[in-house]
Amino acid sequence: MQINDTLKPAEVALLYQSHHAWLRGWLRSRVGCSEHAADLAQDTFVRVLRARQASPLKEPRAYLSSIARGLMIDQFRRRALERAYQQSLAQVPETEVPSEEARLLILDALARLDRALHQLKPRARQAFMLAQLDGMSIVQIARQLRVSRATIERDLATALGVCYRLRYADA
Amino acid sequence: MPDATPTQAQVDQAIDWLVKLRFDSPCPRTRQQFQQWLASHPHHPLAWQRVSLLSDELAGLPKDLSRRTLEGSQQQRGSRRNHLKLLALLAVGGSLGLAAREPLGLPELLADNSTAVGERRRVQGRDGSRIQLNTASAIDLDYSVEQRQLALLRGEVSLESNANDHRPFLIETSVGRLVTLDGQLLLRENRQGLLLAVRRGQVTLFPASALRRQVPPGETLQVRRDGRVQAVTLHSDPWGWTDGVLSVQQMPLGEFVAELGRYRPGLLRCAPDVAGLVVSGTFQLSDTGAILHLLSRSLPVRVEYRTQYWVSIAAA
Repeated sequence: MQINDTLKPAEVALLYQSHHAWLRGWLRSRVGCSEHAADLAQDTFVRVLRARQASPLKEPRAYLSSIARGLMIDQFRRRALERAYQQSLAQVPETEVPSEEARLLILDALARLDRALHQLKPRARQAFMLAQLDGMSIVQIARQLRVSRATIERDLATALGVCYRLRYADA
Repeated sequence: MPDATPTQAQVDQAIDWLVKLRFDSPCPRTRQQFQQWLASHPHHPLAWQRVSLLSDELAGLPKDLSRRTLEGSQQQRGSRRNHLKLLALLAVGGSLGLAAREPLGLPELLADNSTAVGERRRVQGRDGSRIQLNTASAIDLDYSVEQRQLALLRGEVSLESNANDHRPFLIETSVGRLVTLDGQLLLRENRQGLLLAVRRGQVTLFPASALRRQVPPGETLQVRRDGRVQAVTLHSDPWGWTDGVLSVQQMPLGEFVAELGRYRPGLLRCAPDVAGLVVSGTFQLSDTGAILHLLSRSLPVRVEYRTQYWVSIAAA
């Protein structure tokens, strides 16, 4: 049995026909580049196709622009990350500079990590970075942060739960 | 038909196992219990696979670089200016922020991004960067949410990147890519490859076939097509043309004439027997005829005009 909680393809097609041009214009006035706006509009509809939407759309343009806005904010974060990456390159030893090919993979992984870290409390964030980036054990982290092992275990589980949601649920 | 996605409870269990197995030193009994859990439900292997993949991806990251990047990115996002930008992005009216600052429509820049021989042109980037094209030059400009980009297609360009715009500025050239945020730099295509001068800011050069390097302010480099890079000392101020002058010190006449020839349509030749004479001074580029005349008065040379477009400099 198919649970009907996504928009039907025909509904999306109608949405596309009626509002795609408007959305492109809306995006162009925000990103200032028509090609980029076209890409973002496309991505917006891809998201619409995947999004769960139980009730019929009452305000299609508000719905589309809220998704598009989310995409722009993602890109804004990504931009901050890429910039930070570029700046960090100058500060690490030559031997630790990844190849250009590895760059995108690393940035993708960092973008996900960045989003996850953003949703964590400071201690959990710190614990997760110590575990994942520095490869420290629970015992070592507990000692460094002066909390119990059980607390660190909980922090790491919370962090991984956030990563999981970002990766598999909210995609 | 069962849903193929693990339940939240199963994911949570997988996460607990991952924490025990990866970040602790598990005893044999723990491992055994994990194996039992894995086999106890058809969804458990999938939940485990997904969860361990998350951790694997992060474990492979370069430690120092990643930490700096994450901290840097959070710092940037926290800064007030970016906060305002984000607000502008969110503003529905579009009357404040990006929409107002960055004009739309077909960029007039398209018509502005090349110059004829003898022409020089200033271009104001949409991001507020200042760009100047020297004679016989062409560039492409491209702005996206992620980055700013300039491609040097021909000739010579100077770029003063607006540091208040936080997008990285990528510069594509025939010998590789440059990246800067706040750089003021000059790029000139020449026979050997590219001449690069940096006046201020942080500029990173990624040659097409060599390791990246930082180019500090004040440095002038010749980047060869094979990726070799060497510091050069010039007989001229490479920035001179941005102020409309050709400014040279002890430059051999042959080189000077070649330089001047870039700004004049047609042929400009220098006889070999006078090519070694030395020229110093600052000359206004707006009138190359006057410069030629000046040469004939200050050096033992004469200027022969076969036509307006065929000029030779020979011994007087």
